[in-house]
Amino acid sequence: MGLRRSQAVTLISGEAIRFLVTLIGRSSIAFPAQWVRGIVMPTAVGGDGLVTWANVSYEHSDLAERLKLASHGRSAETRVVLYGHDDQGKSFEVDKVLGLVDVERTLIHPLPPHFRGGERDRVLGFFADKDSVALIANPFWVLDLPNRKQALDLFALRLSAHGPGETDVRLQLPVARLDAVAVGQVG
Amino acid sequence: MLRGQLRKQGTTARRSTGEGRPQHMVVFAVAGKRMAARTEEIAGVVSWTGAIPVPSETPFVTSLVRQQEGCLPVFDLAAKFKQPIREGESLCLVVKHVDGPLAIRIDAEVPSLQTVPRSSLQCHIGDDPDCAGVYVAGGEQLPIINLATLGVSSSRQAG
Repeated sequence: MGLRRSQAVTLISGEAIRFLVTLIGRSSIAFPAQWVRGIVMPTAVGGDGLVTWANVSYEHSDLAERLKLASHGRSAETRVVLYGHDDQGKSFEVDKVLGLVDVERTLIHPLPPHFRGGERDRVLGFFADKDSVALIANPFWVLDLPNRKQALDLFALRLSAHGPGETDVRLQLPVARLDAVAVGQVG
Repeated sequence: MLRGQLRKQGTTARRSTGEGRPQHMVVFAVAGKRMAARTEEIAGVVSWTGAIPVPSETPFVTSLVRQQEGCLPVFDLAAKFKQPIREGESLCLVVKHVDGPLAIRIDAEVPSLQTVPRSSLQCHIGDDPDCAGVYVAGGEQLPIINLATLGVSSSRQAG
């Protein structure tokens, strides 16, 4: 089952969450897309550690380090994601932007209870494609906002208003396919 | 005999049980280290498809593995026993854990099912709550792993 096909499922229940899917190191990390305000080149980061875009300044943070993920390092595909809600904004580097994907709520799984540590604050859950899995970063943790229960409810959207395969015109990103993410050998 | 005395007897450092029905055990290997577990704690063995790392602080639970339509958390038994993982073919032992199904990467040798007299099992309460004791097989002492509660106590201690 590909994620494109999961969109057809989405139309049945009419509720899904749109994610920006990225790569950080070997991990596929997804962010609720409603708080994505832009994607810029790494050169946009000023010497003062701020990214200013559309007259708004975003504090730059090392999200890979915060997530304890080993980034591949800067490459031609490295991008800076501008993420914000109300007055709170942060920017962070990702190794690659895969694109946007709408995921049916029922296909989003919480972290299994076997995970008992601080990762429960950082990662809300995951969704899976045929060959890979995207971990959902907690947007409240990303922005250092107070955590809240059922955080993803805030981002639910009714996909009946959107056609399958439709892209976000503002960001002009393709619909992501996670097939591009290789499954690693760990554990 | 008082209940307290009975409890104390049950938690003596080492005891052998030579009576009762034979115990069904599964013997498997993790990174070359052979170990055993009770069959009733094992849900099955499937092919190992590779793990997806999760940035986790939970000891030894640091990845997910695909299984059918979903994902299972992986307990890194090789890391717990400080065994360097061997690259190559592996199998996935699916465990009936108290928190839900759990996956363990094991060596490619198919686990063997053994029916053993209880006298060959030495149960002991040691420092490691994940080990129930040892199974003596052919002069070899195999640790018996408490698969159903693997990591539960150590996580609480760490937390």
